[in-house]
Amino acid sequence: MSGWEIFTWISVGILGIGSIIVFILFLRDLPELLKKSEKETP
Amino acid sequence: MYSLATIDYIIIAIYLMMMVGVGIWFSKRHSNFDDYFLAGRSLTTPILITTLISTYYGIDVLFGDSQLAFTDGVVAWFGYARPTYAFFLIAAFLLANRLKKEDFRSLPDILDKYYGKKTRYIGALASFIYSLPALSLYGFGMLGDIIMGWPPFVGMLILGGIALVYTLTGGFWAVALTDSIQFVMMCVVLAIAVPFAFNVIGGFDTMIDLLPAAYFESMGDLSIWLVIIYASTGLTILVEPTFYQRIFAAKSYKNVRNALVIGIFIWGSYDWIVTILAMAAKTGQIQGIIPMDVAPDASLLTIMVVALPAGVLGLFMAGVLSTEMSTLDSYCLVAGGNVAYDFYKPALKPDASDDELIQKTRWGIGLSWILGFIMATAFDQMLGLWVFMASILISSVLVPILGGLFFPKFHKPLAGLLSTGLGLTSTVILNIYIMTQGTFVEAEETYVLHIGSWEIFQEYLMYITLPISFMGFILGVIFGKEKHS
Repeated sequence: MSGWEIFTWISVGILGIGSIIVFILFLRDLPELLKKSEKETP
Repeated sequence: MYSLATIDYIIIAIYLMMMVGVGIWFSKRHSNFDDYFLAGRSLTTPILITTLISTYYGIDVLFGDSQLAFTDGVVAWFGYARPTYAFFLIAAFLLANRLKKEDFRSLPDILDKYYGKKTRYIGALASFIYSLPALSLYGFGMLGDIIMGWPPFVGMLILGGIALVYTLTGGFWAVALTDSIQFVMMCVVLAIAVPFAFNVIGGFDTMIDLLPAAYFESMGDLSIWLVIIYASTGLTILVEPTFYQRIFAAKSYKNVRNALVIGIFIWGSYDWIVTILAMAAKTGQIQGIIPMDVAPDASLLTIMVVALPAGVLGLFMAGVLSTEMSTLDSYCLVAGGNVAYDFYKPALKPDASDDELIQKTRWGIGLSWILGFIMATAFDQMLGLWVFMASILISSVLVPILGGLFFPKFHKPLAGLLSTGLGLTSTVILNIYIMTQGTFVEAEETYVLHIGSWEIFQEYLMYITLPISFMGFILGVIFGKEKHS
């Protein structure tokens, strides 16, 4: 396996798994964000 | 038009309905302008990552990167994409902290604070022009044609219209939340596409065997000057209005810094995968898997249509739509904010209520969309138009913004006025001149002006207009009588 290919699979991992982790963390923050937007609604 | 399965259309339809749903959900949830325009300044690191990445990467990046990778190889990543990460680092460690210390709401707010109202209006005009969604709408026209077989203006109206609806109704909350869904869509489908593409062409080693060796040279066949030109497009990051809006909307500086540092890894991976997929398309072309006459900017979509099974292809197409929607909504919102907050309030009604500002922002969003639509249907050469719009922003506000942030002694109204005014005027004059008097060279995809034996590309004009803006700033500092209070 060439260095280019290894770099490609690392990139696939960062992009695929990394984005899902970030999205899960976003979902964790979401209730607080929604509460904040509700609080500011008169 | 590519042939898609019914399941692909169902996936795309569900995705589009979700986007409209988010906009309607947030339609009545705004109590004040800060809430509508900056999501109450409450964005945390994960949502900043998602909204920064999905906004900054439109299909211009997707197709632009892939076009260069298809014709030249890995230089698309090393020469074109990689230098922008340096600008993101500068933004993370030098710019964001200073911006977050003040209570700014928009980029022209900064110019107003340091140089006064006149400079604010010029900066707002430059920001408004730059944020017009002409390129995004043009992209929707192209995608509508590819996915549904629609004439371009129908794709612009329907797909661009959906993004307009949720931006108008939901404001920045809707933009940020749809960005998050769009972020995960665009990243995951791109990652999934890699094994499918390798499977079709026979693996990575086949690519190494069939492509010319220059495709794997980090600087390829490009001249150093062209690489410098490509790299300098990253300067837009330092004055990017949507980027500034996200800094102002963040909960704290730490959230911005962390989002940018983590984001660089995802940006880098995204760019690299786009590069590799386009090179796989080139390999597929050599093998006769995809047509010989495929346009370089359509190579990525073409190899995906060949490689991906039904259902996954629908996800990929929804991901491509996500890439563009997340860009269009953010720029329309910034343009709307320029109209309401940077022109209407300071020039016409300083005591405007928050409800009025939200209403005027919605008018501004609509106006920017209509102007973008007119430009997208009227101009033939969208790349030339984009270079024009980007250089207007850089040449007008880069010098006074950085000068103002880092050199408090230079806060003289004349410096801001001359720098923004001369930068804007020279950019408009020179770009109109080259677009009317020059010739469009298909091979270079740019306007070229011939003066004797000299060839001046449209992209070079920024190297004239930016120094003009700098000279104006220096003259203003020297001859300006007093500092702005």
